[in-house]
Amino acid sequence: MFRYKATAALAVTALLTLSACGGGSSSDSSSADGGSLTLTAVAAPTSMDVSKAEWGNRSPFYQASYDTLLYMSADGEVEPWLATDYSYNDDNTELTLTLRDDVTFTDGSTLTAKLVKENLERFQSGTSPDASYLAGITGISTPDDTTVVLKMAEPNPALVDYLTRDPGLIEAASMFKADDADTNPVGSGPYVLDTKASVTGTTYVYTANPDYWNADAVTYDDLTINVITDATAALNTVRSGEANGVKLVNNDSLDEVQSAGWTVNANELDVAGLLLLDRAGSQNKALGDVKVRQAINYAIDRAGLLTALQDGNGTVTEQMFPASSAAYDESLDSYYSYDPEKAKELLAEAGYADGVTIEMPSASALGATTYTLIKQELADVGITVKYTEVPVENFIADLLAPKYVASYMPLEQNPDWQLIQFMISPTAVFNPYHYSDDTVNKLLKEIQYGDTATQEAKAAELNKYLVEQAWFAPFYRVQGSFATDANTTVTMSTTNAYPSLFDFQPAS
Amino acid sequence: MRRLVSGVVLVFVISAVAFSLLYVSGGDIARRILGVNATQATVAQKTHELGLDRSLFSQYTDWLGSALSGDFGRSWFSGQLVSESLGQRLPVTLSIVVGATLLAAIVSVVIGVLAAVRGGWVDRVVQVISVLGFAVPGFLVALALVLFFAIDLGWFRATGYIAFADSASGWLQSVTLPVLALSLAVIASVAAQIRGAVIDALARDYVRTLRSRGLPTGRIVVRHVLRNAGGPALAVLAVQFVGLLGGAVIVEQVFALPGIGQLAVSATSQGDIPVVMGLVIVTAVIVVVTNLVIDLAQAYLNPKVRLS
Repeated sequence: MFRYKATAALAVTALLTLSACGGGSSSDSSSADGGSLTLTAVAAPTSMDVSKAEWGNRSPFYQASYDTLLYMSADGEVEPWLATDYSYNDDNTELTLTLRDDVTFTDGSTLTAKLVKENLERFQSGTSPDASYLAGITGISTPDDTTVVLKMAEPNPALVDYLTRDPGLIEAASMFKADDADTNPVGSGPYVLDTKASVTGTTYVYTANPDYWNADAVTYDDLTINVITDATAALNTVRSGEANGVKLVNNDSLDEVQSAGWTVNANELDVAGLLLLDRAGSQNKALGDVKVRQAINYAIDRAGLLTALQDGNGTVTEQMFPASSAAYDESLDSYYSYDPEKAKELLAEAGYADGVTIEMPSASALGATTYTLIKQELADVGITVKYTEVPVENFIADLLAPKYVASYMPLEQNPDWQLIQFMISPTAVFNPYHYSDDTVNKLLKEIQYGDTATQEAKAAELNKYLVEQAWFAPFYRVQGSFATDANTTVTMSTTNAYPSLFDFQPAS
Repeated sequence: MRRLVSGVVLVFVISAVAFSLLYVSGGDIARRILGVNATQATVAQKTHELGLDRSLFSQYTDWLGSALSGDFGRSWFSGQLVSESLGQRLPVTLSIVVGATLLAAIVSVVIGVLAAVRGGWVDRVVQVISVLGFAVPGFLVALALVLFFAIDLGWFRATGYIAFADSASGWLQSVTLPVLALSLAVIASVAAQIRGAVIDALARDYVRTLRSRGLPTGRIVVRHVLRNAGGPALAVLAVQFVGLLGGAVIVEQVFALPGIGQLAVSATSQGDIPVVMGLVIVTAVIVVVTNLVIDLAQAYLNPKVRLS
């Protein structure tokens, strides 16, 4: 399938170049003046039951049917939503939420503190990939009908961020035991799913919720989201004007999208690079030496890779924290320059003048060129990469087993504490060797228990330390591209792969 | 009757083989469903919930038990009933596959017979087209068709499907290009087959006898030659029809059609075993039924076949 996609993308590019036809007028595009909005997404939602929900590229489907307790604005600020107010106690172990009292679900039931408690508990024990986000909650109490108190054994600085995403989704109690809960959402959200007109996995047709509590925020009466995972089909949707907003599968055809009269809206959420996982050197002694890890960082020609692999769509970086984070330090992005000589020197100093061998997994489906270029650049300084080809569907499982000491991998850049829980802390998903050191552990504690100012200062310190210690060898932040037609504008999110549905507006 | 029984046995065997193959190639299915964010604990919980920690045999007998009572379970990914999902998507795929087969049958009979009877330059043109039709991959044809007819001219839809019940003209707009893309290779091979069979039949003694009795060529071809040449052509068409179910996978991706081909791609990559098994059974049944129908048609065309 993937090879076919690549071939198809190549073929369509060739065809387009040949038939230099403008095709600028997308005459039959549905008008977006308060009427209908047609979008495409690159991933189908999993179950509509929020205890199995996800976010990221699947967020629009959940956002249409449900509300979250809090809301994340496009620039990453946490705002009131179902909860009008939230506050922590002195030691940040109790979060008190105050709920709206005017929210009704499409089955006529209303929002209550008890319902919120039940939803959170179901999410906690459910099988959403993000179930662990609520793992630290030890108890939920409901002093009155509009107050919910979440108790934790220790502070979780990311908790309010989480409540703006899938863990904060609230479904009606009638769904808890319904047979069709997986496919028939009953929420309080801005839209209602028309299950008859929808095809699960492909087409989702919505109409505006007539009783929505926040009707002012809803611009369109009708919403359709089509799942299009094929790059060629996505481009054809743009060129034929069969949607108003198209999430592009990759950045291979941005010129064609623009020449069709569409706007490419971009954000940067993923950082691509090498995860140097075996930092203790338990399986590969060389990787346990910071000089070897630094040598790897010096050996990488980041600007060259960005041009070769992403056509320049992205930004070179050497740190894992996103530009939107307070921990981000622009100067760190040139901490290691491309310097093969320096890399060789470091290897020699570390006692590996004769070279180092590192075993990594490869999945050609993710882009064979990437692996070839990495291998070449590392070979130039005396590091031999031995790839084991892994079927793409087993790639993550093998990586996290852990079966490999290092790997190329694009990872999502989340808000600080979420990012730490994802790739840095000893229990993080992408720290499969559970590596830690005293400096990192101390900083993590300070971030966890500190006030906002301390959190930001210590996260910056952590970020710098990780770059110096070469925990990773990041290459660049990848551009995520969302195309909109002439009738539609969108504000891209700095924290999520898919824009918020409330951020689509008709072009004036 | 014997055919029917062997068909049922075949479907049964295929289901067992497919089920074990899925597990051999399986990897960590719960991880595939949950993606990169999930912790190992959540993955373990999902594995248990899906029953993947049980023996292959007990998983298969469970599945078989429910399947025999008509319950194919729910998708592990979306939670949709497999039967509902297939019911939604089968009409889409059948629309384009049956459409492509019918179109191919008509066009290839016309040009195959034309090439055989007329000979000369008509024959050579048909042969060149046949080779081209074979050589050009279906998805390239699909791409070219979309670019020209859907994007430049705007006559048809580039993506998506409109049900016949909703709008007949919309349905036609959404299936025409996929049908054309699919049928080309079939036309190429079936036309070549018909051409050969007709030329063969035309050289037979009975044709000479008929000609000597003064019957016009047209009548000889339609009444007698086609009936004799039809057998092999029908067999090729049946094979092609089954092949088209595979070809639909690619065409449905390019045209973003919600058919079973698209479902097969996503279900397989997600390790969605209930859906894949549902697809295997449906496809196997279609193949068995097609062969049965073709056998009956052969018997009608050629009495000799009935004896065997």
